[in-house]
Amino acid sequence: MTTRTGESTEAGQRLGLVGRLKNGNIELWANLIVLALVIGFVFWRGSGFAITIGTVFAIWAILTVSLNLVVGYTGLLSVGHIGFFGIGAYSVAILTSTTDYSLLRTQSIPTHEWPFFAALPVGIVLAGAVALVVGVVFNRFRDDVFVLVSFGFAIISFNLFLNAGAITRGAFGIHEVARPNIVGRTLDGELEYLIMALACLAIVSLVAWAIVTSSFGRVLTAIREDEQAAAVFGYRVTHYKLAIWVISAMMAAMAGGLFSSWTSFIDPNSFILLESILLVSIVILGGLATIWGSLLGAMTFVLLEEGMRFLPFIPDVYVGQARQVALGVLLVVLMLFRPQGLMGRYKL
Amino acid sequence: MRHQEVVGGHYEVQNPVVNIVFGLVVAGVVAWALFEILYPRLRGRFSRRSIQGAVGLAGILAGLYTGLLLVYPDNLHLLFGPVAGLAVGVAVALALREGLVRVTSSEDGPMATLVPAIIGLAVGAGAAAYIADRPESGLYLSWAVSCLLAGCVGLGLYRGLYVTLRNRARSPLIMLVASMGILLAISATITIVFESAPRPLPPAFGSGPIEFGGGNIKGFNFFTVGVSLAGFAGLLWLLQRTSFGRSVRAIGDDEDVSKVVGINTTVVIAIVFFIGAAFAAMAGILSGHDTAIQPRMGLLLLLKGWIASVVGGIGNLYGALLGGFALGMVEQFGIWDLAGEWKDVISFVVLILFLSFWPKGVLPRK
Repeated sequence: MTTRTGESTEAGQRLGLVGRLKNGNIELWANLIVLALVIGFVFWRGSGFAITIGTVFAIWAILTVSLNLVVGYTGLLSVGHIGFFGIGAYSVAILTSTTDYSLLRTQSIPTHEWPFFAALPVGIVLAGAVALVVGVVFNRFRDDVFVLVSFGFAIISFNLFLNAGAITRGAFGIHEVARPNIVGRTLDGELEYLIMALACLAIVSLVAWAIVTSSFGRVLTAIREDEQAAAVFGYRVTHYKLAIWVISAMMAAMAGGLFSSWTSFIDPNSFILLESILLVSIVILGGLATIWGSLLGAMTFVLLEEGMRFLPFIPDVYVGQARQVALGVLLVVLMLFRPQGLMGRYKL
Repeated sequence: MRHQEVVGGHYEVQNPVVNIVFGLVVAGVVAWALFEILYPRLRGRFSRRSIQGAVGLAGILAGLYTGLLLVYPDNLHLLFGPVAGLAVGVAVALALREGLVRVTSSEDGPMATLVPAIIGLAVGAGAAAYIADRPESGLYLSWAVSCLLAGCVGLGLYRGLYVTLRNRARSPLIMLVASMGILLAISATITIVFESAPRPLPPAFGSGPIEFGGGNIKGFNFFTVGVSLAGFAGLLWLLQRTSFGRSVRAIGDDEDVSKVVGINTTVVIAIVFFIGAAFAAMAGILSGHDTAIQPRMGLLLLLKGWIASVVGGIGNLYGALLGGFALGMVEQFGIWDLAGEWKDVISFVVLILFLSFWPKGVLPRK
């Protein structure tokens, strides 16, 4: 069903590893380079660095895998995914936060003091419900119009986080979001948190893999290739699109919950439109319609920031911006020479 | 890398890298544009190599001149004044010629060419002298320089990137993603070079409030409205009354057929990119004088423009104007009951409502 572009598998197997490298197999090169960079950075900066990078990677990777289900497998270029991420993050933050804001003399919100593992499902279900409503409205749009309305969703959700001060404390942000607590043991250590984040990533990746290899996933690919044809074959296209949209939103909300309890402080600036554009860029960089590609893309993105520290003429404050420049340039180059992304199975 | 200091109440930004990049962009764009225009006409008389050499030289000169302008912004009235005078002179001469041809209904003869040329020369020289005598005109000349630079960057992006992309792209989404990449790269570059904090522009004329209809309005806002109306009228004239406008509309209808009938689509689209970028720069300058400038100011304005064109009807200029006004009105009316922070939400809700129930907009394209 999926069209394999570029190198064909059979030819690759006959050539062997070295032969494929010599042939300029971009996928293999990308894998090798990223893995080599990971190992290099870990040896260079030590294990503390590896743990931080790993957690950031896990959160971004959950986001990219979930977005790839929508963009890569269903063909809807959504730029509003950060909204669901934000819903998850804010739900967990609001429900678990224990700060007494009356002492801070800024806007105060009630504290609920829920445990993390009770708050996370609430956030996920809430994001799913929102996605259901939004999806029903958005289902009729396609292509560039869909992009525009998904921009709209990102902006509307950002404004909600910013302006609904009675719930979210607006621009002040929410402090001291609780760390997860498993059977009486609080995950305070960074390593423990990394393991949990990676476990969540594994669950999300497995679910995504199960979806795309099932008959459900094949229908999604059919919708991507030709929506009308899929409808003619009797598939309820709308329902399929809605289902994957909701599932993807719930995964993003999970990443959001992890994010807010990891940083323990969130404010609306983490959920701006630009982050959403970055997210789409990473998905496209890694490759559309491939889960491994999404993981690779997230890893590239995380490593890119560290790589920017090598550039002597960039002050440390602007490393994040420099990464954004690099990502933008990479995206343009990819669109010119490899529109399916590094590992992609589907061209935009 | 960064060198900024407060000079006379406003920031002075001098960045050699930026100056060099702009100089290179202008050099490349000027050389390419001259080549595209001159080569078909001079093909018979000169060799390709010599035309390339000449336009290359012109491009290098233009790039050096741009660098000079950017390095000495305080002397803009001396350096850019003559160019502005030349532009004024040419415009006056062309308008006069057009009028004389209409009146005397004769295309040739000294009346139709010589008289407008002499008057244009005089007016242009007068304007140049007037500008060069007034250092305070630097701010307004810098508007022109910014618009021209933005136009050149737009043209450079078109020639360097979009031409190739358009030839390869299978779907419009590729262009969209590529432009998102450009957006990421450029906005981050601006942040690195000019810092992310909002920064006021030096005061222009009409910064004081004027009592109007019971409210206080900055005089500059009237100027902004005037500029946007004038720009709209100019665009309308360009699109409806000139042969260039006919080519643009033809390309909008069917690009392949336009090529077949002999329209140089590459050049026409390039000019459209130039005009679009220059207009966008003007919008940025005007809104910057109204509030302040910051690296991320453009995206939301751009999206609002997109919404306005959807609401008004895509592909219809009147629709865009109507949509823009309607959107502005709805945003402001909404504020009566809600707090002002919600106006972005209002515009996107309007967008979604329109796309759901009225996807062709108020004034659909015929």
